Amino acid sequence: MTSEHFASFLVFIFIHVVAFAYYIKGLLSPKMFKVAVTLVASVGMVLCCAVVAVLIAMVASSPTKGWSGRSLSLLDPTYASKYIPIIASVSEHQPPTWPSYFMDINVLAFLVPAGITACFLPLSDASSFVILYIVTSVYFSGVMVRLMLVLAPAACILSGIALSEAFDVFTGSIKFQLPGISRNSQIDVRDTSSAGVVTQDDGVKTDKNEESLKERPSKKNKKKERENAEKALIKPLLEKRLLVLPLEASVISLLLLVLLGAFYVVHCVWAAAEAYSAPSIVLTSHTNNGLHVFDDFREAYAWLSHNTEVDDKVASWWDYGYQTTAMANRTVIVDNNTWNNTHIATVGTAMSSPEKAAWEIFHSLDVKYVLVVFGGLVGYPSDDINKFLWMVRIGGGVFPHIKEPDYLRDGQYRIDSQATPTMLNCLMYKLCYYRFVETDGQGFDRVRKTEIGKKHFKLTHFEEVFTTHHWMVRLYKLKPPKNRIRGKTKKSKTVCVINKASSTTSSKGSGKRNPWQ
Amino acid sequence: MFVQPKREKEIKPSQERQQRNTSLQQLGPKNILPLGYKCPRWPIFSPYSFSLKTPRSTLEQSRRDSRVRQTGERRDDDAMEAPQSSLRSALVFSFIAIAYLSLLVRSATLSSPELQILNAERRIDLTSHIIRVYLTLKVENTGAAPASEIFLAFPPAQVDHLAIVKAAATFGKKKKKSYLPLDVNPTDLPDAPNGAKCFSISLVSPLKTGESVTLEVLYILSHSLEPFPIEISQSESQLVYYHDSAIILSPYHIKHQTTFIKTSSPKVESFTRVEPSDRVGTELKYGPYEDRHSYSFSPIIVHFENNNPFAVVEELVREVEISHWGSLQVTERYKLVHAGARHKGVFSRLEYQHRPQFSGVSSFKHLLATLPPKVHSVYYRDEIGNISSSHLRTNSKKSELEIEPRYPLFGGWKATFVIGYGLPLQDFLFESPDGRRYLNFSFGCPLAETVVDKLTIKVVLPEGSKNPSAVVPFAVDQRIETSFSYLDVVGRTVVVLEKENVVPEHNSPFQVYYNFNPIFMVAEPLMLASVFFFFFIACVTYLHMDISIRK
Repeated sequence: MTSEHFASFLVFIFIHVVAFAYYIKGLLSPKMFKVAVTLVASVGMVLCCAVVAVLIAMVASSPTKGWSGRSLSLLDPTYASKYIPIIASVSEHQPPTWPSYFMDINVLAFLVPAGITACFLPLSDASSFVILYIVTSVYFSGVMVRLMLVLAPAACILSGIALSEAFDVFTGSIKFQLPGISRNSQIDVRDTSSAGVVTQDDGVKTDKNEESLKERPSKKNKKKERENAEKALIKPLLEKRLLVLPLEASVISLLLLVLLGAFYVVHCVWAAAEAYSAPSIVLTSHTNNGLHVFDDFREAYAWLSHNTEVDDKVASWWDYGYQTTAMANRTVIVDNNTWNNTHIATVGTAMSSPEKAAWEIFHSLDVKYVLVVFGGLVGYPSDDINKFLWMVRIGGGVFPHIKEPDYLRDGQYRIDSQATPTMLNCLMYKLCYYRFVETDGQGFDRVRKTEIGKKHFKLTHFEEVFTTHHWMVRLYKLKPPKNRIRGKTKKSKTVCVINKASSTTSSKGSGKRNPWQ
Repeated sequence: MFVQPKREKEIKPSQERQQRNTSLQQLGPKNILPLGYKCPRWPIFSPYSFSLKTPRSTLEQSRRDSRVRQTGERRDDDAMEAPQSSLRSALVFSFIAIAYLSLLVRSATLSSPELQILNAERRIDLTSHIIRVYLTLKVENTGAAPASEIFLAFPPAQVDHLAIVKAAATFGKKKKKSYLPLDVNPTDLPDAPNGAKCFSISLVSPLKTGESVTLEVLYILSHSLEPFPIEISQSESQLVYYHDSAIILSPYHIKHQTTFIKTSSPKVESFTRVEPSDRVGTELKYGPYEDRHSYSFSPIIVHFENNNPFAVVEELVREVEISHWGSLQVTERYKLVHAGARHKGVFSRLEYQHRPQFSGVSSFKHLLATLPPKVHSVYYRDEIGNISSSHLRTNSKKSELEIEPRYPLFGGWKATFVIGYGLPLQDFLFESPDGRRYLNFSFGCPLAETVVDKLTIKVVLPEGSKNPSAVVPFAVDQRIETSFSYLDVVGRTVVVLEKENVVPEHNSPFQVYYNFNPIFMVAEPLMLASVFFFFFIACVTYLHMDISIRK
């Protein structure tokens, strides 16, 4: 339980107490009720004080006053990147870009301001609530992409209001100006149309009512009636003002509005099909000769599940934890629900360490296989090299010997020849680009759009066991530890020979291609 | 340590044994008796892999024996050892001679109808991992009594891997040759030495004295190519051992015989010489050998390159579900494994993609499944969803489904997947004259050139069918189960057929007969309709009823 939940809990409890008090009042006689109130109030106050004191003590004891990192990062958008890199590393915790607003809510982005103005025109309780709702949700969605979900219903309500107002204005002016229709039918039409508007408004309002605190039904009805009465009063006034709109303009605007709505439906269907339903595990690309499927993730997971021992452990960045568990049926070191920050930092440290240190870390974790995702061959941008800086940050947050500036050249993250030696020697770089240069002779990375910095190197503590068809997933196995040889100083020559022999027998083909060359 | 011979070498019997003995230490359980070892129970015939059947003590002793005699025997000091080995081979041959004699006496007393094989020709096809042996025998009856059965003998090591034995008698001359299939049944001959197993071919008409008949025999061996080295890296090609005898093992005296062995590639590392033997390209020729006595055996090893896909389905469950509404739904669950030399060390995708002719030559990627024509709604998937790499080609004769496992299979790698398809019922379900219905469907595995270690066919009959019986052209295990699907009350009868060691030659039709009353077809729709009907009736009555207590 964290502090941000207190407000809602207290309101919840308060409402129940009030409701209970009213219920008791109905049951008892006024005299008895007074006695009960004094009794309950005195005991209740003592209890409340005790509970509040305990709560305050608990809250005060925590450094952030009981606020969780997530909610703090909502209140202060820079908080997460400063203190909790693991929260900031998640892509959906990033602030959204303008195109993403347009992509997600499309036309609504333009209708929402109109809706806000419409809410202000007669400022009632309900409309002020809607305004508060939209303002807070816009702020939250501005902090994190994932909170676009909070914005969506608010934006829908407001653009609904805006559209309904616009339709009201246009149809009203058309009706008023149309000469051919008799007075009688005009009234009918107006009645039905206004009734439609009213019911629509009611729908919106009941929504709002439910969302705001659950009011009593009797009150709600009363309020509705009152509002209807207000509407009826305003109506003639409005109609007089609408006379300014010419007939053609209003007809054309009506058509345009309908067209806008139609296009929005088309966009929504497209977005639902392409952006929201596309699985992130099977990628497709449209080429000249049809659809090309990149099924590398499942290829690697199927290989893992069929060709490794059941109790082997796989280390990868936590993004692939659930996938490995579910699809490959293998134990992972960290997954998407790992709360232990140190654990994730350990894997991050291993990935950003040089090979030997990384081998020791993984060996201490009883890891058999290391999985990396590499998009450089086919241009898959969300691969481990692009995530790598977060591994450094998260690892460095717990293990201070990993320093982010060591991996940056003049504050820039790069993997080409200008990259720092720490970067070029870390495990992640090596596992991703192992023998990559031999594919095209230059080692051109299609995601970073550059040639890689270190092209020819060998792995000493890891061996490649599987790489998928498009090289998107690469699996490495930890080499078994070498036998310890005693008396190094005395028989250095024999040791050398034995060492060589053991390495050739135990790990043949670890990058040694042709001994005669 | 035994180093792989790079050049082709002729292996003399002694050398060969030595090679086997050294490989013995590597291969572990594959123990080999020395050729001429005097063993009271097995006079001559000592096939290779019967470590399971050899009593431990004899084996130990034999090994100790051989070690005592071969002290200091190493591959390196070949020259020094040569005179010693020649001496030993002389010893061995003398043993063989003695054993032959003893056997001759025994066989003469036991086999009652005197048969002899005038001419035998054997062609062993080693091109894929399924070994097909074509045997042409010309049998003559020299005894007094007419013979109605002819026996074939197999060494125990081959019997375990024997998938199918077919025999046919030939009539007529070359142009108008006709074949008459004959029954083949496993039997036990009391005088068969060393656990050799026999199969009897029943002739249609007994062979009278002095007459002769020509038989064509086809037998198929699976899992009989033993990869050596057992583990290979990605760049190496796969070498395998094939063990057999240069002389056809037979309970009869063979006057004239020849054996041809066809290997998959001209790269033959080594083969045992049993003079006269010869090799031209991909063909090895043993023989002609004249006048060999019954149960003669001369072990040979052929060590050659075979990069054909060693696709073995460890377990295949085919479920055929009959619906009398007009469709047949087939679901096949595969557990595929590459049974060749195990992959060792790294797998480099780079090597595999850029040098396909040198890298991963023994691995395979494509599989071809031949499905019946008019197949529809085909799917190919595994536990984690659809596998997108497959192609279906259909025509009026057959449908071909080309599938790719998710990853190329190297030695020892496994993959599991499911293939499912629907078929029109009228092509497979018929009514027999006695009013029973029968399903006529193909046994065996639709994948081309694969061995199935354990095949289970489940024919799910519609609910309400009675008296199921299966007719299969070869011996299978049968049992009846009950399965439940949607809306089943009594359950569906499932006829389960199980067979081990299935090869493509088992793809012959089988029949499942059952009684079925068409009234059961409408049982489930009626059930649903009545449920809805009663529900609505209940609603209507509820609405028309007044059950309030206060009036």
